[in-house]
Amino acid sequence: MVNISINGQKIRAKEGANVLQEAKDLRIDIPTLCYHNDLTTFGACRLCTVEVKTDGAWKLAASCQTEVAEGMEVLTDSDKVKESRKLAAALLYYKYPGTQAIRDVAEKLGVEVVPTETDSRDCILCGLCTRTCHEIVRADALKFQDRGLGRSLEEPKIEFISPACIGCGSCAYVCSTGFVRMEAVDGKRMIWDKVFKMAVCNNCGRYFAPVEQLEFISRTTGVPVSNLMTCVSCR
Amino acid sequence: MNTMAFSSWNGKIMDNRTTGKGAGKAKKSAEGAFPAQLDGQSFAALMGWNGLVIVDPKADVVALTLAYLKEAKGLSCGECSVCMIGIDRVLDILKKMAAGKGDQHDLGEIEEIVKGVMANGKCNFGRAAALTPVLDAVKYFKADFLALPNAEKKFMEHKDYRSAVTAPCMNACPAALDIPGYIELIRNNKFKESLDLVRDRCILPGVIGRSCTHICEDACVRKDMDGSLAIRLLKRSAADQDLQGGASALTTPKVEKKEKIAIVGAGPAGLAAAYHLRRMGYQVTIFEALPKAGGMAAVGIPDYRLPKDILNHEVDLIKRMGVEIRFNSPVELLNWPDLQKEGYAAAFLAVGAHVGTKIGCRGEEIASDDVVQGAEFLRNLSLGKQAVPVNKVVIIGGGNVALDCARNCIRLGYKHVEIVYRRSPAEMPGSKEEIGEAIHENVKFTYLTAPVGIVRKVGKVAGIECMKMKLGEPDASGRKRPVPIKGSEFTLKTDMVIAATGQKPDLALLTDKEKVDMTTTWGTIKTDPRSCSTAVGGIFAGGDCVSGPATLIEALNMGNKAAKSIDAYLQGKTFADDLIFEGIDVSQQRDMGFVPPTKTGEVKFLEVDERLKGFAEVEGGFNAAAAIKEAQRCLRCYRLMVWQ
Ligand SMILES: Cc1cc2nc3c(=O)[nH]c(=O)nc-3n(C[C@H](O)[C@H](O)[C@H](O)COP(=O)(O)OP(=O)(O)OC[C@H]3O[C@@H](n4cnc5c(N)ncnc54)[C@H](O)[C@@H]3O)c2cc1C
Ligand code: FES
Repeated sequence: MVNISINGQKIRAKEGANVLQEAKDLRIDIPTLCYHNDLTTFGACRLCTVEVKTDGAWKLAASCQTEVAEGMEVLTDSDKVKESRKLAAALLYYKYPGTQAIRDVAEKLGVEVVPTETDSRDCILCGLCTRTCHEIVRADALKFQDRGLGRSLEEPKIEFISPACIGCGSCAYVCSTGFVRMEAVDGKRMIWDKVFKMAVCNNCGRYFAPVEQLEFISRTTGVPVSNLMTCVSCR
Repeated sequence: MNTMAFSSWNGKIMDNRTTGKGAGKAKKSAEGAFPAQLDGQSFAALMGWNGLVIVDPKADVVALTLAYLKEAKGLSCGECSVCMIGIDRVLDILKKMAAGKGDQHDLGEIEEIVKGVMANGKCNFGRAAALTPVLDAVKYFKADFLALPNAEKKFMEHKDYRSAVTAPCMNACPAALDIPGYIELIRNNKFKESLDLVRDRCILPGVIGRSCTHICEDACVRKDMDGSLAIRLLKRSAADQDLQGGASALTTPKVEKKEKIAIVGAGPAGLAAAYHLRRMGYQVTIFEALPKAGGMAAVGIPDYRLPKDILNHEVDLIKRMGVEIRFNSPVELLNWPDLQKEGYAAAFLAVGAHVGTKIGCRGEEIASDDVVQGAEFLRNLSLGKQAVPVNKVVIIGGGNVALDCARNCIRLGYKHVEIVYRRSPAEMPGSKEEIGEAIHENVKFTYLTAPVGIVRKVGKVAGIECMKMKLGEPDASGRKRPVPIKGSEFTLKTDMVIAATGQKPDLALLTDKEKVDMTTTWGTIKTDPRSCSTAVGGIFAGGDCVSGPATLIEALNMGNKAAKSIDAYLQGKTFADDLIFEGIDVSQQRDMGFVPPTKTGEVKFLEVDERLKGFAEVEGGFNAAAAIKEAQRCLRCYRLMVWQ
């Protein structure tokens, strides 16, 4: 355990914990768009900034990526923090003015948001889907395609690796803006650009999971597909 | 005298303009600011990650800023919400201003965005480079920006700017590998793409990922914070993952060219040149004296550091691209006119430095198999000659060859292995890691001791007479010179002596005339350092035979360059080398901001008793998950420079 203080409040935090989680546990509101408790941190949205005192000086830090350390002092609500969050939100709003999730955060952080009819549900590159697919599902069907030296990519984006996708829908579930859409029609599921055949529960006869997902589970666990043909409610 | 009009390099303002903000002030010297020349050439105006440098007062700062922003946009990865969008936003504001719809407030907004990105960018490109110099431009050249509406046409004009990108690690790497780039691809779980990027400048990634001297890691910005990135091991992971995943092939040439090129020596330099020339479509033949390819990586670096299946695989890929390697084919005399008659259009000499230099002590001249050269000892081992272990062996020298001999001897069953070095541990050229491992494995080190004579009894080595040394003034190499202590002679008992005191190239293949024209007083081949060309038209040279014993990555780099240079020569073009950031401290940047500390990834090392059973690889590598985790530590410190 380490001793830290958040906004003057002294607490004991678990070693290795991040400042964001500790603050959340104290019910301190810190805006985030790219954080999820069960995933590694990514530090993309830059909204979770706090001030941290290191070597006697206060510095801005992304709280999700900052591990607690003995004696650490944290401010979550200073003017510098507010200013920095507002700028990040303003930039996000500038780029994705029609995305509701962004409009909400921007408004909350003091950015002037004008009404609009559009609902564009843009991908804001928060990386929640790529991390979920890699760390939880382990299918590796989603990867970042970003730019850099010698790479000529106009807009960074998420690459969908169709053959690797098992259609589990976790990315749609975790997506913060509704960009990843999943639709179901007549025993088929559509996600990204791929169509999946759904399996029917042996017991209740309802569609319950994509066949490819069951095959994937079977491959990774060694349980034959035939033993997986019952839905969660009937198990 | 430096005639700069303005410089804000590294945040130090020097303003010699006669109009504008600094008008009328006394001229300040530009000392410690930016070098007056860039890679030996003058420039009119420059914008770089660390500031703005204006030599010609008439230079168009607005156009320069735009050119910079366009390049910066391409380097911004776009992953975090401030950097790329910030650049876009600033560009849009400038466009609005150019359309006559802007004012003072817009400059204020630009300033706010720049500061926000500098303070809150995810990576160090955003924090240090993306927009930083724009702040100086809008602050000190305000009038130019406010005058934009009148200059709308000019604003859109295309101007010729040159740009260059580096990073502290890239700048330290002899081959200037795009290190942040390949690490980023690993972080995004794109090992194959990462490997392809590495291969652009390093065609032996598995070899280099194991044996490189990794000076890049010393330049890593994280070094003094929480430890450098494990750059070498990350490269190894890209190669390992590829091998485990079935091994990808190298791209074959799109067009075939008919010109034939002869390469002498299949070491790293020769292989690198062969790969690049073949990729361009040339017909490449390598003549190699030994039955193996890889040069010192094959017959020098021991198996426990570099398993030979890794090297062989990488050589195989090059062969499969259509590079012909003629083994057991020493070129005894390089007859250039004859080679030309056979149709060779150019030749690349990469014969390495394989001849051991003498220790310089009494009794050494007598040929016997208990006094051997280090490089020869290692070569014989690699070529399968059986070594006969003795009770005690003394190895003279302090470099990697000495260490490799010693650690091999320990594994071969020599009972007592002692390295004798004439200076102190601090001056030892061998890598610190290697020295540590050798101590682990029970190699004994005797410092400040120099051999003076070999003692023989009935024709067999019985000992080596030595003298104690003390350190004197630094010599030309900057290391302190060892000075003998009078009367300190003593005899060290030993059954065998290995001389690992250096190697030089064997240039017997050159004619006497060529030797005069083409060699240095050090016995190496003289070349133009940028283009690798020699005094003889059509003959190029690179690697250890030019630099003297150096490193794998330096040899690879010279091979890479020679290929480009040979291509330029054959196509009648001028050879353009990468920019050298000479005189510019690429580690400098303004406020770094806060970097949350993280631990460096560690790998497993083989237990000592396991090691000594044979020649198994000692150092483990990262698995995919560990590599991705380590890659996440990279700060991505790209430095951009745009100039005119
Ligand atoms: C024991 C040892 C350990 C080392 N460890 C490291 C290390 O850990 N990391 C590192 O970075 N560097 C290391 N080095 C240095 C590195 O191996 C060399 O700098 C590098 O191999 C030089 O490459 P090269 O292509 O110039 O020459 P070489 O690798 O020496 O290759 C030259 C090739 O030319 C062939 N050849 C020579 N003459 C002729 C001829 N007349 N005709 C045909 N073929 C010929 C040779 O047989 C050889 O295959 C080590 C060197 C030694 C000796
Ligand atoms: S939650 Fe920390 S940067 Fe997004």
